[in-house]
Amino acid sequence: MIKFEQVSKTYPGGFQALSHVDFHLQKGEMAFLTGHSGAGKSTLLKLISIMERPTAGRVLINDHDLSKIPRRQVPFVRRDIGMIFQDHRLLMDKTVFDNVALPLLIEGYSIQEARKRVHAALDKVGLADKVRHYPMMLSGGEQQRVGIARAVVNKPPLLLADEPTGNLDPKLSMDIIRLFEAFNQVGVAVLIATHDLGLIARMRYRTLTLREGKMIDDGLQEPSA
Amino acid sequence: MSLLFRNRSTSKGNPQGARKVKISGFRRFVMFFVHNAQQAVGSLGELARYPFASMMTMAVLGLSLTLPATLYVVVKNTQTVGAQWQEASELTLFLQKGLNEREVETFTRRVGLDKEVASVKLIPKAEALEEFKEYSGFGEALDYLNNNPLPDVLLVTPAESMRSAAAAQSLLQRFEREREVDFGKLDVQWLNRLQSLLDLVRDSFGALAFLLCVSVVLIVGNTIRLNILSKRDEIVVMKLVGATDGYIQRPFLYTGLWYGIVGGVIAWLATFILLWWIDGAVMRITELYEGQFELAGLTGIEMLILWAVAIALGLIGSYLAVRKHVSAIEPR
Repeated sequence: MIKFEQVSKTYPGGFQALSHVDFHLQKGEMAFLTGHSGAGKSTLLKLISIMERPTAGRVLINDHDLSKIPRRQVPFVRRDIGMIFQDHRLLMDKTVFDNVALPLLIEGYSIQEARKRVHAALDKVGLADKVRHYPMMLSGGEQQRVGIARAVVNKPPLLLADEPTGNLDPKLSMDIIRLFEAFNQVGVAVLIATHDLGLIARMRYRTLTLREGKMIDDGLQEPSA
Repeated sequence: MSLLFRNRSTSKGNPQGARKVKISGFRRFVMFFVHNAQQAVGSLGELARYPFASMMTMAVLGLSLTLPATLYVVVKNTQTVGAQWQEASELTLFLQKGLNEREVETFTRRVGLDKEVASVKLIPKAEALEEFKEYSGFGEALDYLNNNPLPDVLLVTPAESMRSAAAAQSLLQRFEREREVDFGKLDVQWLNRLQSLLDLVRDSFGALAFLLCVSVVLIVGNTIRLNILSKRDEIVVMKLVGATDGYIQRPFLYTGLWYGIVGGVIAWLATFILLWWIDGAVMRITELYEGQFELAGLTGIEMLILWAVAIALGLIGSYLAVRKHVSAIEPR
């Protein structure tokens, strides 16, 4: 589903964030992306969501070359990708409902249709009773779950998460990962960037490892225990 | 619309749960207008949240248009007044000094019989001198003159058909070719001067109006720019979840539209108040001249044009701002 072919990214100023990265994530696969901070995890995710463009090489999603997607069509690519952030990027002056409904309204759903979907998504992350709350009234873990509900509400085939458990304690982190597992089980491909090695160790998923912009382990050479 | 995944609703990449809602092209078309209406109302609500700031921008827009609108009305009224006066134009013919009384009388009668002349009045030079003595204040001093320096004068009122400025001018030229006439004067000449003065005023105010419109566009554009920048975080999030630039721009364009709509109404009100104010002064002047004159305000069409201009300025200002700034904000 996601294929990187000799992808390099050099930021203006000369910093090389990624060099010659190759990997292939299958349809419906769940994987972790790890490495120390500054190793290029976020850059790799940004290349998938076209927040950045690669300096060299090709990024393909579902066999579509992202370099052939013009700027005008980038929003339509993003509608196929659910994105989750460490700082969850919720709109603080909007209710939980408005936050989760945002992708649907952008896609042209009516409020009535969106309502069903939003409730289903919030139900899945266990926040069905917090619809009318504002994000400020929720705990960190709950805010992150609102972010996840927003990412999955339009049922994207692909979920990207950038340090989704960064600010959470181990128990809450595990809950979040279990949520991703639940989505993965119904066929969604999930790629989670994290430096929480303890968390990865407890899971049996493919782990891609970056070091200084190079992929030193794509998780296929030796099946992780 | 799914770009990367054809048949997304049937692909495996769908979590179970809520049913997939299929949106047909027609529905999308209808929803486009529904969303536009929602965004229009939404941006109005946004304006109402900061009534003071919104009213300031609207007032700038409205008051900037008030000046050109009022000047337009003033120029329009002066033109009608000018037209009325030109109708009643009168020719003054100064006759040659060497003529004797009989010749003057014959010429007066000849002019009076002319088809293009309605009436003629002779002011003999003796009478003119008496009048001049009386009003000029030279009085006795004029008695020392050996002979009367004033010519005989004919006041000619042209026929109905010859009362326009151009026709009266040609009539004057015809009379000036007569042997008896020294030279003639048309009393619309000062009106022509007034007219060209008015043209000058109108042209300079046209330029002024243009500058005011440009400044309105810049002010609206800057206000919208600040709006956009203050919503930077929201725009970033919207772009992350797949909003097109067009979708993000629309509320700001509607804000510009509302600025124009309300600003136009403010321009109406301010113009009416200003004209009502001027009306008092105009009344006093017309009383002095014992004239009948009604100050004409803006007509319905003119009000609509003023409104359309206000709305257009609001839209142009916001369009310039969104075009530049919405696309510049990208998630990082």
